[in-house]
Amino acid sequence: MVRRVTARPPLRRFRLRNGLHVVLAPQPASPTASVWVWYRVGSKNEWPGVTGASHWIEHMVFEGSPRYGKGEMDRAIVRVGGSLNAFTDTDYTVYFSTVPREHLAVPLDIESDRMTRALLLDGEVERERTIIHSEREGNENWPEFRVEEELLQLGFRVHPYRWDALGSRADIERLTPQELRDYYHRFYGPRNAVLVVAGGFAPVAAERTIRGRFSRLASAGDDVTVHVREPEPHGERRAELGGPGTTPYLQVAWRGPALRDPGTPSTLVLDAVLGGAVPLFAPGFRSRGPGEHPSSRLHRALIDPGLAVRAGTSWQPREYPSLFGIYALAAPGTRLDRLEERIDSVVAGLCRAGPTPTEIEDVRARIRRGAALVYEGASHTGYRLGYFATVARPEYEDELLRALLRVRAADVRERARALFRNDARLVVRYTPTNGGVDG
Amino acid sequence: MVSPLDPLRLEYSNALPPLQLVHQLAPAGAATFAATFVGPAGWARDPDRREGTARLVAQLLPTAAGALRRVALARRLDRIGATLTSRSSPESGEVTVWGSEADRKKLLGLLAEAVLRPRFDPDDIERIRRSLSERQLREIRQPAGRADRELLAAVFPRAHPYRSTGLGTRASLDRISRSDLIRFHRRHYVADGGLLVVTTGSRSDRVERDARRVFRGLSDRGPDPLVVPALPRRAPRNVRVHLPGRAQVEVRVGGPSITQDSPRYPAAYLANQLLGGRPLLNRLFQRVRERGGLAYGTSSHLETMRWGGFWTASAGTGPERWPTVVRMLEREIDRVRDRPVPGPELDVIRESAIGEIPLSLEETSDAHELAVDAAYHGMPADFWLTWPARLRAVRPREVREAAELAFDRNASATVVAGPLRRA
Repeated sequence: MVRRVTARPPLRRFRLRNGLHVVLAPQPASPTASVWVWYRVGSKNEWPGVTGASHWIEHMVFEGSPRYGKGEMDRAIVRVGGSLNAFTDTDYTVYFSTVPREHLAVPLDIESDRMTRALLLDGEVERERTIIHSEREGNENWPEFRVEEELLQLGFRVHPYRWDALGSRADIERLTPQELRDYYHRFYGPRNAVLVVAGGFAPVAAERTIRGRFSRLASAGDDVTVHVREPEPHGERRAELGGPGTTPYLQVAWRGPALRDPGTPSTLVLDAVLGGAVPLFAPGFRSRGPGEHPSSRLHRALIDPGLAVRAGTSWQPREYPSLFGIYALAAPGTRLDRLEERIDSVVAGLCRAGPTPTEIEDVRARIRRGAALVYEGASHTGYRLGYFATVARPEYEDELLRALLRVRAADVRERARALFRNDARLVVRYTPTNGGVDG
Repeated sequence: MVSPLDPLRLEYSNALPPLQLVHQLAPAGAATFAATFVGPAGWARDPDRREGTARLVAQLLPTAAGALRRVALARRLDRIGATLTSRSSPESGEVTVWGSEADRKKLLGLLAEAVLRPRFDPDDIERIRRSLSERQLREIRQPAGRADRELLAAVFPRAHPYRSTGLGTRASLDRISRSDLIRFHRRHYVADGGLLVVTTGSRSDRVERDARRVFRGLSDRGPDPLVVPALPRRAPRNVRVHLPGRAQVEVRVGGPSITQDSPRYPAAYLANQLLGGRPLLNRLFQRVRERGGLAYGTSSHLETMRWGGFWTASAGTGPERWPTVVRMLEREIDRVRDRPVPGPELDVIRESAIGEIPLSLEETSDAHELAVDAAYHGMPADFWLTWPARLRAVRPREVREAAELAFDRNASATVVAGPLRRA
């Protein structure tokens, strides 16, 4: 009989003198060890002209450091059976590797070598330019990406959440190797990093290895706080887009709270009532995706009557207030006006009467069960601990969970009224044109 | 000595004949459970002029079952943080339940309800029909979907089960009635040719007892054997589809391949890993992306099934670069087929493939996928435990020979779809 133990593992936390914050989460039964380095650097730290720099650095950090030549980091991890990757978002850039537990030292060595000393050679930067361009082109093939990008432009006039982490086409063409090196040396370093190790390892030995590898790094990393505040909107903003696609697509959005705002717990419950998901407490990668919750209000209002084939919410709590969106992909034959009317009516219903007691009870049950299962697997654990440690602090997860379970229907109604203001509404509509396409 | 891969050992049971029951232990420390029913219900069985039936049925099964209409079933699953999902392929239809080990009995019961007593409520049928119609449009209008679709149509003959993606056409979907769906379900979600795979921390005798209790009543009679048309001898044509207004061109090179039970499978598996399968180390990634800077995503894929298989090398690239990328993909495919494979390169690829197996023991759902795959192909109980030794026994010469067979260039086609001409 296998022991069933999934729950947050006991944490061992410490900070090195150079500022590196370390979180160890031993899971003795795990056959793997997962190493995550979260840098508090993302597209929020860019400015017009250098948009996409964080993401470009993410690519370049794999291209060589003093002890690992081009391709050697990948080979070192993959040849022991590990997997590695990285991603960039508004608030962070993250590098992660999961390896069979006996090889934990390999990713730790790589991460220490590239934390402050990635090479970012001119030739490699130039070669990567077309790859990043290609990554952006791949996204541009999708109407959803175009709508999202337009929505950010409408929703933020001054805050750096205005651009997508991929950066603008113009900046991808223009950025120079020296600008990228300057950006890297300014922001990367132990002071802006959280190192999370989860899985099957002995914590004392792991701490020794980490101190041995990372303590010698200089304390580097400029302040990454964003001081710009986005002014309050005073009127609805709209955009109409057209291009290739399948059926009309629409997103309506408002400015949601930041992760640590007091309004976040009730917004998360509101999000769950509307779209069905509680992403922060969804167990495993098997959980239903957005738009797959038949009991949610948007599903019942848009998909059930045949107006949309997909509908849901799109909101990830971030360090600063970010957009809370509702999207819908029309069923063949449905007009965008009709979708928009229905979304308005769903929102109005929540502002008027709030959720039902059954809805609140369902969301609470989902959160409780999710919280009990979210720590299965070293990789998932590393991701989760890193997210909370980077955007808030590790203990915030517990505080948030307690607050979520206290949210009442009246809180959600008040939150809906505060959030869904007509004078703060953003609307982007996409109409497929498909000129010249056969089939 | 106990192998670290021991949890991946399968236990075959005849507790529910003719349904094959397979049990696998959940990874140590896992708190979740998964179970999958697989029926001979792929889109190869779609009735004539009603293409799309298998996909419609597969999507309807986890939607509403027994006394539970759609919202009631969704609420029940949501409240316990569980999921009930399905997928279909040319050969089979699958329904999978996943959730807390603490809810094992309840979840197995819900899986059985979905498989045995789907409701096929008219509203649900129409909703999923609409969703499939939109997916058809995506397959036609989006470069990636279009390239995949054209490749299959170019290399497989009419009436071949691998020729389509099972979505049918607008007209064929519209022709499917509720009674068509009920008939298809009765004939294809059956014990004969069916498989139930359970990954759990519980003992196999308990799994057998629970499965017997809830899967009683599954029809024994399976569908008639299927005749798979022979592949044509002539070389397929290449295809170019100009889709204006898009940003990126999708490139595919591919064709028919070997079956999963081929004795050449381990060598062919390594050939694909070498060409474009092994993340970061593979040749396409190294040459097209890392050296050439020509594409963000490039890879190869070998899909081996019961009746045959197919392979694809793919990349997404800019409108100016696609002719170069086509040449590079074709050159790398030819190189792995025609030139000796260097031993050191193969060793790195092989050890990486072997080393990653323990990563599948992180979560129940990952380990479960391996179990379903091995059980579907009737692999021995120790398939995953002995897989490293079988890979280590493959010599470089065998990899090249397997590549020649598995990536048959005389039967392959090259497809490009996207903005082939700048506006």
